[in-house]
Amino acid sequence: MTLPNILGVTAAAIVLAGAAVLGDKVVSRQTRTDRVTVIYWEKWTGDEAKEMRKVVDAFNRSQDRIVVQYLSISGVDTKTMLATAGGNPPDVAGIWLENLYEFSDANALTDLKPMADAAGLDASYYIKNYYDPLTYNGGLWALPSTPASIALHVRPDLVPKEYSTPETFPKTIEGLDQMVDKISKKKDNGDLIMAGFLPSNPGWWNWAWGPYFGGSLFDGKNLTLDSKENVRAFDWVRTYAKRFGAKEVQSFQSGFGTFASPQDPFMEGKVATEMNGVWKANYIRVYKKGLPWFAVPFPYPEDRKDLEGHSNLSQDVLTIPRGAKHPKEAFEFIKFVQRQDVMEGLCQGHGKNSPLAKVSEHFFNTHQNTYIRLFDQLARSPKAFNPPAIGILPQVRDELNVAFQEVSTEQKKPDQALHDAQQRMDTLWATYKDQVLNR
Amino acid sequence: MNKRDARIGILFASPWILGFLIFLTYPLIASLVYSLTNFSILRPPKYIGFQNYRELFHDQVFYTSLSNTLLYVAGAVPLSTIVAIGLAMLLNTKVKGMSIYRTMFFLPTLVPMVALGTLFLWVFNGDYGLLNAAFHKVNVTPPNWLGDPTWAKWTLILISIWGCGQAMVIYLAGLQDVPVSLYEAADLDGAKAWAKTKSVTIPMISPVILFNVIMGIIGAMQIFAVPYVMFPGGAPARSTYFYTSYLYDNAFQYQRMGYASAMGWVLFAITITLTTIALKLSDKHVHYEAN
Amino acid sequence: MSQTNISRSQSLQNQKRFKIAAAHVALVLLSILFVLPLIWMLSTAVKPIGETMTTPPRWIPSQFLWGNFKDAIAYDSKELGYIPFLVYARNTIIITLLAVGGSVLSNAIVAYSFARIKWPGRDLFFSITLATMMVPFPVTMVPTFALFKWLGWVGTFKPLWVPAFFASAFSIFLLRQFYRTIPMELSEAAKIDGCSEFRIFTDVVAPLSRPALMVVALFTFMGAWNDFLGPLIYLVDQKTFTLSLGLQAYQSQHGGTQWNLLMAASCLVILPVIVVFFFAQKVFIQGIATSGLK
Repeated sequence: MTLPNILGVTAAAIVLAGAAVLGDKVVSRQTRTDRVTVIYWEKWTGDEAKEMRKVVDAFNRSQDRIVVQYLSISGVDTKTMLATAGGNPPDVAGIWLENLYEFSDANALTDLKPMADAAGLDASYYIKNYYDPLTYNGGLWALPSTPASIALHVRPDLVPKEYSTPETFPKTIEGLDQMVDKISKKKDNGDLIMAGFLPSNPGWWNWAWGPYFGGSLFDGKNLTLDSKENVRAFDWVRTYAKRFGAKEVQSFQSGFGTFASPQDPFMEGKVATEMNGVWKANYIRVYKKGLPWFAVPFPYPEDRKDLEGHSNLSQDVLTIPRGAKHPKEAFEFIKFVQRQDVMEGLCQGHGKNSPLAKVSEHFFNTHQNTYIRLFDQLARSPKAFNPPAIGILPQVRDELNVAFQEVSTEQKKPDQALHDAQQRMDTLWATYKDQVLNR
Repeated sequence: MNKRDARIGILFASPWILGFLIFLTYPLIASLVYSLTNFSILRPPKYIGFQNYRELFHDQVFYTSLSNTLLYVAGAVPLSTIVAIGLAMLLNTKVKGMSIYRTMFFLPTLVPMVALGTLFLWVFNGDYGLLNAAFHKVNVTPPNWLGDPTWAKWTLILISIWGCGQAMVIYLAGLQDVPVSLYEAADLDGAKAWAKTKSVTIPMISPVILFNVIMGIIGAMQIFAVPYVMFPGGAPARSTYFYTSYLYDNAFQYQRMGYASAMGWVLFAITITLTTIALKLSDKHVHYEAN
Repeated sequence: MSQTNISRSQSLQNQKRFKIAAAHVALVLLSILFVLPLIWMLSTAVKPIGETMTTPPRWIPSQFLWGNFKDAIAYDSKELGYIPFLVYARNTIIITLLAVGGSVLSNAIVAYSFARIKWPGRDLFFSITLATMMVPFPVTMVPTFALFKWLGWVGTFKPLWVPAFFASAFSIFLLRQFYRTIPMELSEAAKIDGCSEFRIFTDVVAPLSRPALMVVALFTFMGAWNDFLGPLIYLVDQKTFTLSLGLQAYQSQHGGTQWNLLMAASCLVILPVIVVFFFAQKVFIQGIATSGLK
């Protein structure tokens, strides 16, 4: 080989080797030797991450045996599952309540009950509606980080005067629908300018429509997706497709801005009411301070006053994956987050309510959300409901999303859509029971 | 062929031989084995015979995702081929500034999938999109590109045509190899443009067409990234839920790797079938130069 | 020359001119059509957020927010939180560099073996190699993932560049066709001079193969730079993400997107590829032409 060639090849080899080494450095998890390092994977970015980082810092400062490392992981649920399978999971994984059942069935989580009981973190410490879903199959699989309840947010300046206060706003679905008919605005060609309400905005809880009409999805043994209350709920969804036109809704919605900006549809007045969570107030405060708004429980069907005060609940949870290197130290951190002052600080920073049974007056008085007491009340309400505790919840949720879309685009009639979903999930559930649960 | 040559030959080819064994043979066989198990990655695979395949053949979403994919292939491959050849022929007329035009047609293929997806979410947007603005200018009501189950697929087909630059470049190279003498002979016979294309150009580049069509089918069958970005979950109502999307969800969202492996093998079988059909059809129509 | 001959060649000339003019017009229109979405991307990138969604769409922003490019790569944007664009860029560069290097090296040498050395089973194995192009990625995706998991490479860059060092069917095919156009006499002359096969490869054949090697390098570069599914599956910690994966961070998970910043970021991601392609164009086309995909 000629000299320039040799030099060229050697240079290339050095560059490549250097890149490989650099690549390894980038992905390595640095650990210290003086303290136990607890790796904490969490879904949050931006401001929400900042709040949790404050908690992590406080914990690290409060003792000298353990240091927690916070990492922002997108798709944290999938990644945690894969890492656990690969034998290299994080010590603490911040996932969603909805993941709990499939992870537990897959034997991916550590049962926290012994450690929690020893620390006094039992059912009496928490709001029942938040604690119960964390217990499953005789174990305790997670403890909360931040909870949420959902309510209908209203723009008093966009609804008729007679409805513009929480006390006078329609309490029933029928009342809501009538109001929507009155106030929604369209252009001559049918394009939407302002919609009184849109079931598909934000569209994160399509599984909840049935329960809002008194239906249930799972009775503990069998799925009941096509029960008559659920069909009634989707019939109601369909009325909105007919009212506005599926095409018009889709066009209208695709022009909505991100919720973290003044172009959020509720803030911009493209919708007069919006079903959303306790955290909404935080975003309004940041992006459109002074915006007139109030919150009321989501309406109930006229003939089902027994459902009054309902809300679908959710929570972000902290788990210890099976095979974590430092489970005891990981629990030390989780226990710290559960301390009342820490938890209230975190929830307040996120603009959410607290999952603990006891709440300080200070929390309520200094909370940025003027309607925090409503959200707290909804969380404690016996009418509040959680996602069904079934291992195939991801598939059920996806299937109900599809049914929702089929009904909203008028591709299928509601009873047909739900019937198809029921059939498909029945087969899947049978297979799952056979293959996963009966091992 | 002497012993020394044989040794060196195999030595030189060894990276590929190793790669072939590690990254192709082993995964193919392993995936076949996995397809006969229930494998949720957290527990060791458990043998269940052909149950995955039985379940697959009764799975509505399997058929939906497969038919979506086949429809997409049937639309995207022929249309991209025609457009790519047409563009290549235009570029082959040796106009000035050819390299600029060539770059402009090739540019779309350089765009990463996510950017492509989000860009086209814009272009096809019902109220604010580029495309519909053009429709409105001529007072025609545009279809609901992103929200209508039928039109959503067409959105993806149009995007794939837009990305035909890679194939176009290969066709261009093929066209430039066609001997000018053949065209001159056709001219002397008084052949018009279309006749020349039909009897000279197409036959001469038919091997290239075959190659690109086969690669096109294989690629289109595996469509994943753009729908993943533009239509999460296959919205609306699974009309854009493609085979690889469902495979990915089964493997990584629902923890059903055995089931996903069975899907993979079915895809393989279908791809081989389509390719074999293409090859068989080509025997009659493809014209090879004597080597 | 007779009258009819002159007018015949005249009319042929006129036909030719008309054809070229028509081709010009078609090319201009079509190329604008193809580039339009990219121009739209650039225009959106510099718009203030309020103008990204208007009916009818605005082409020229009221103000040119070139700062959007800076915002897109800023480390802690108010709207989106921590998006380490430059970190993503560095990761992508590392992976792409390794993939291109490995690909050129391994394919050059493997294709040489198929094209210019006779060894038992060579032609059969080449047909099998071609057939492997038919194997769809999803089929091998799961076991390959399990393999990397077993090696402990999930969460690292290795699954994204190590396979490049083992050659690939498409590039082998391309290079082999090219090598076959180099006369065997050159090799034979070198052999008579006492050169080893390896020396023939490095001193005789490789230098002549630059165009074809450029094609391999360019295709690998584009594939690695834009790869989405690979990083999606194998990269875990956000700080290890690549650009194509990181672009998703601009797409809020919960509906709504910071469109202008996303477009700005996308422009930045495309830029290196366009630059590389522009400079490598001629060699690239030459490489494809001479490799004769027939």
